[in-house]
Parts: sequence; structure tokens; C-alpha cells
Amino acid sequence: MKIAFLGQPNAGKSTIFNGLAGYKTITANFPGQTVNYTISKVRLGDEIFEIVDLPGIYSLTALDKAEIETRNFILSGRADVVINIIDASTLSRSLELTLQIAELQVPMVICLNMIDEAKRKGLDINSEKLSKIFGVPVIETIANKGIGLDKIFISAKEAYFNQLIPKIQSFHKDIENYISEIEKIIPGNFIPKVPRRYLAIKLLEGDRELFEEIKIYNDLQNKVHKIREEIKISHGSPADTVISSERHALTMNIFEEVTKIGEPTKTLREKIDDILTNKYLGYPFLIFILFMIFFMVFEIGKIIEEPIISIFDSFIQKLPQYLSPESFSFFIVKGLLEGFSGGLGVAIPYLIPFFIGLTILEDIGYLPRMAFLMDTIMHRIGLHGKSVLPFIVSYGCNVPGVMATRILESPRDRFITAALSVFVPCAARTTVIFGLVGAYIGGVATAALYFFNILIIMILGAIFTKFIPEITPGLIMEIPPLRIPTFKNMLMKTWLRLKDFMLVAWPLLVISSVILSCLEYLQLDIFLNKIFSPLVSWLLGLPEKSGITLIFGILRKELSMIMLFQAFDTTNLSTVMTKIQMIIFTIFIIFYIPCIGTIGALIKELGTKKTILIIIISIFIALILSSIARLILSLL
Amino acid sequence: MKTLVNINDRKKAKILKISGGHRIRQHLQCLGIHIGDIVTIKKSSFLGGPVLLEINGCDVALGKGIASKIEVEELE
Repeated sequence: MKIAFLGQPNAGKSTIFNGLAGYKTITANFPGQTVNYTISKVRLGDEIFEIVDLPGIYSLTALDKAEIETRNFILSGRADVVINIIDASTLSRSLELTLQIAELQVPMVICLNMIDEAKRKGLDINSEKLSKIFGVPVIETIANKGIGLDKIFISAKEAYFNQLIPKIQSFHKDIENYISEIEKIIPGNFIPKVPRRYLAIKLLEGDRELFEEIKIYNDLQNKVHKIREEIKISHGSPADTVISSERHALTMNIFEEVTKIGEPTKTLREKIDDILTNKYLGYPFLIFILFMIFFMVFEIGKIIEEPIISIFDSFIQKLPQYLSPESFSFFIVKGLLEGFSGGLGVAIPYLIPFFIGLTILEDIGYLPRMAFLMDTIMHRIGLHGKSVLPFIVSYGCNVPGVMATRILESPRDRFITAALSVFVPCAARTTVIFGLVGAYIGGVATAALYFFNILIIMILGAIFTKFIPEITPGLIMEIPPLRIPTFKNMLMKTWLRLKDFMLVAWPLLVISSVILSCLEYLQLDIFLNKIFSPLVSWLLGLPEKSGITLIFGILRKELSMIMLFQAFDTTNLSTVMTKIQMIIFTIFIIFYIPCIGTIGALIKELGTKKTILIIIISIFIALILSSIARLILSLL
Repeated sequence: MKTLVNINDRKKAKILKISGGHRIRQHLQCLGIHIGDIVTIKKSSFLGGPVLLEINGCDVALGKGIASKIEVEELE
């Protein structure tokens, strides 16, 4: 049996899914977290259930990429049962989606999640009444505490075996007449598995995707246009507004029938929320919170990093005692050790605290509040508040950062945000900044580099906006209530994210390290360095030997620095590079070509052409910035 | 004509008209913002920033561009 979870963003679909399937997807307290759907098999006794976690959608009218994906899945008829997950505290709005799902005539279960939060808001919901109205099971859950989850499979089975198809809720008579008029003339072979009524309503609403598809049916197209015009004249507003008002009226009726509204309990949460989004106090808090996260990441990271690195270092130094330094196996073992220590010692110590910090911010629900605070500033670079989220995530890793651009509605915003996100120094580049500039030059220079980076990103944003003008409507975003993160969820999310790194990036790191070692053994590195020497030595004024490390930085950015040690065969880089060279090297690393993983994510989100464009832009920017930096620094 | 931008903090307003394209209207409808609904302005951020509304028990942030497209009538 295939069970699809469907609901509005931030209703808790992923939390429920994780509660049932073990941790497979990442949850967060901001709308639109799930961008891909995840399928998982759950065994319960002798039965196997396939459960599908779909991206949250506000309606079945496709607006953004996530909505199209969800809709296509449902329309393809692959779900046996739909579980409509509702954030009970926003019942009146959520029911609008429920009405639309009901039109699809698939067995359904309504799941009122976060019932505790609804109570806090003073909503007393009568689930039995709701169940009678739709003719489907209604269950109550508090997913983050695991309450009520056991009822999900039971009611899913009940809905499936008794074929509990939701009852259609009728609009006003005149609208119903229009709907049946269109229903009658939709050809039988047009999206065959979907009820005609659903298609008729979506056509009346002016659904763009469906409009494209009915172009080949002239009669139907003309009829739809005619009726839409008629509605506009008789009701005084566009047909889509009329349908949505009808639906709104229906939901309000149902809402009032099933809910008793009492007084909300004023809590400490609202007071905290008030300060966090305060016109004046909000900003110092924002800076303080971000500063604390970064401070924590580097302090904790350093404590873990040093002992691990020293263990590996002593291993590598003792290596010539066991293997002849001239032999091929020596180079292989050395490469392996260096690759392992790079991942274990340099990346993971910083990634763990960063992921924990990010998880806490996400689960509390601080990120949407940040988007609210940053909207004005983001408008200066032609974007709006929501783009802040991909940027923040990018400080950890550009890959999820690029993927997070899916929450933006317009392709233009997605492109600009993704293009700018790749310039955000991720944890890997941060290790370069700290390991090189931080360790050899000092804290002030490090902070200055971060500041410089933000400045350049803002300038680039302004330039992009010149070329692709802003046509986007701006910020439209739900601000979910603040929530207290659960410890278990925090650990599981951190682990999931870390697992991604260990399975994808770490092996790459080890392999590249071994390849570099082999190149060294074959003395090909000298040859490669010669090829790149015009760029590296002439233009950037860096030592010729650093050329090869820049190439390997494309695989993983921190490789560049780790390999500097290897290429120069030293543990103290200040003996081989000047401070100016270190700064130029770091600036180049920050801005040039995104790493392989990020390139993959870019291709997936934006397509190959735009990805190549971003790569070319990044090379140019890296070259220009590091040349300018060389010029200015040499004058000082 | 007053729009959401002209309403002071902590005041209630009734939505009269939503101008702007099909997409914007639809997006607002999805978040439960309809003509005839009553909204409370919770706060507006400075420098022409977004406004934070409460509607049917949910908080929604709207950028200034959109807020200025929503015509409202201020209630008491």
C-alpha cells in the first residue's frame, strides 16, 4: 500500500514521516523545507507500507517547483491513500487544501497535527464532526512528541480497505453549473486518471500548466475562456478570485462548525518573538546570534581538531620507518592518511558544531524571522528576505544552500541567489581562511576577509540586478510560531547531514589525496604546475608549487590548503609563503569555481547552461579580485 | 485609498481589494489572505521593510511591494 503525506508547508509532514520511518528526511521550522520527495518502506507485522513524504504545498494550483512536483505525484495516481496532514493551529487556512485534495477522490485520512498548539491558541476542534463532514477518518497527533502516530497506519488501512473517498463539498449553485458545463466537454483521454470535476475547477481557476495542455482542444479552450469571462462579469472579479472566495467561504463554514474558539493563552513565547522581530532590538540580536554560532563553531572545532591532527601527523612522520620513502606504496599510504586526516581532523570538527547550531536555529523557527528582518537589506541587492535562508545554509555547505533556493518563487530569484550562494565561504573554505589567514596572520585579517566577502556578494547582487531587473513580487512568507527543539531531532538531523558529508565528500577527499600522491610519485605535479604557472606565478604572484593545490580545490575546497602542506612538504607555511601570498591565495580559493558537489547541485537546480555561466563568472571574479588584492597589498 | 502600508501597528483592517497579477493573488490566497478578511498589523519594520500581519491566527510577512497592493479599510 502506498501512502502519500500531503499538507501545507510546516504542518509537520517530515516530522511524522521520520517518526514512522526512522530518520530519513530533514525537518525544520520553516516553510518549504522538504524539496524532494522521500519514499520509505515500513514493515508493520506482515505488512509493508510505502510512505511518501511530499513537499508541502499551499494549494494544488502549481506555483513553485515543489508544488509542481507534489501535484504531479498525486495526479499520476500512484498513491493508494492520501494522508492530509494539517497544522491544527492553522485549521481554517489548511482546510482549503483539504477541499482540493478531496476533489481528487482518493481514499483520505485527515491528520490534525500539533493539536497542543491549537489548544494553546484557544481552538477546541471536534474531530468527529470533521470526520462526518468529509466522510473520512480524522486523527489527532503531536508529532514531535510522538503522540498519536500509531493511529496513522490503522486509519490509512481503514480508509483504503473501505475505500473512504472524501465527500465533495459543493460551491454555490451558479458556480456548480459552470463546473459541470466544463466537466462535460473535457475529453476522456485528457489526464485520464484524474476526476473531471477537479480538472474543470482548475481550468476555471486559470491553472497555467493545464492551460498549456488544453491548447490542442479548441472547443474546450474556447468554452473555458467564455465561462471565465462570464464569471468575471457576473461576479465583478476574476474567476480565480471567485473560486478561491467560494472555497474560503466553504472552509470558514466548516471551520466554524467544528471549532469552538476560546481565549489564546499569552505565553512567554510571544514576548520573546516580539523582541526577536523588533524594529530596533531585532538586529543586535540577529548579529549576536550569528556571532555566537560562528564563535561556537570555531572554538569547539579547534578543541577537537588539534589532537586529531597531531595523531595523524605523528603517524605520517613515523611512516618512513616502516616504508621506504622512495617506494610507490609509501606515497599511497601517505595519500590515504592525509585524506583521512583532512576529513576527520579538519572538516568534521567544524561541521558538527555548525550543523548543531543550524539545526537549533531552524527548529526554533528563527530563520523566517531573519528573513523578515533582512528583507529591506536584501532588496538593496535586488532580492528579498527569503534569499537569506540559502545564504545562511551556505555557510555550512554550498550544496544544501543551492538546494534551498527552491523555496524562492521566481526563476530569476533562484538563479541570482544560487549564483551568489556559491561565493559564500562554506565550512570547507572557512577551514582554509582560518588555517591560513587565521593561523598565520591573525583574527583581524580573518574578520576583514569575511567582511570583504559579504561586500563583494552585495556588489555582485547589485550588478546582477542591473542585468536582470527585479520583477518579483517580493516577500510573501508565513512566519511559523516559535517552537522548542527536541534534543533527539537535533542529534538525528546533525547525524543525517554529517552522513552526507562522510558518504559523498570524504571518500572524494581520500581519493583526491591519493591521486595527488601518485602524481607526486610520477613527478607529474611539476608538469601540471608548469602549465598553470603563468596564471599562478605571473598573474597572482603565488609560488609555482601552489598551482596543483588550486586544481584539487575544485574537488573539495579545503583540499587546497591541506595540499599546500603536502606540496611544500612542510608543516609551517610561513616559511614558504609571504603573508600577502596567503591572502591572495585565500581570496582566490573563496571565489573561484564552486566545488564538484556544488556544481552537481547547480546543474540539478538550474540546468547545465546556467551552471557553466556561474562557473565562468566565478573564475573571472576570482582572478579580478585576487589581482586587485595583489596590487593593493603590494602598495601597502 | 489606504493600503496595508498606511495602517499603524496593532490596528485592524479589512481587505477590500488585492491588485496585482494572477500569481500574487493566488499566492496570497494560499496563505489565507482573501478579500473581506480582517487582518491585524502586528508590526512593520523600518526603512520601508516588510509588514507582519496576523490573519486567522497565523503570522504572515509581506514585503512592502505587496503590502502596498492590498487596499484596506481601517477598523476603529
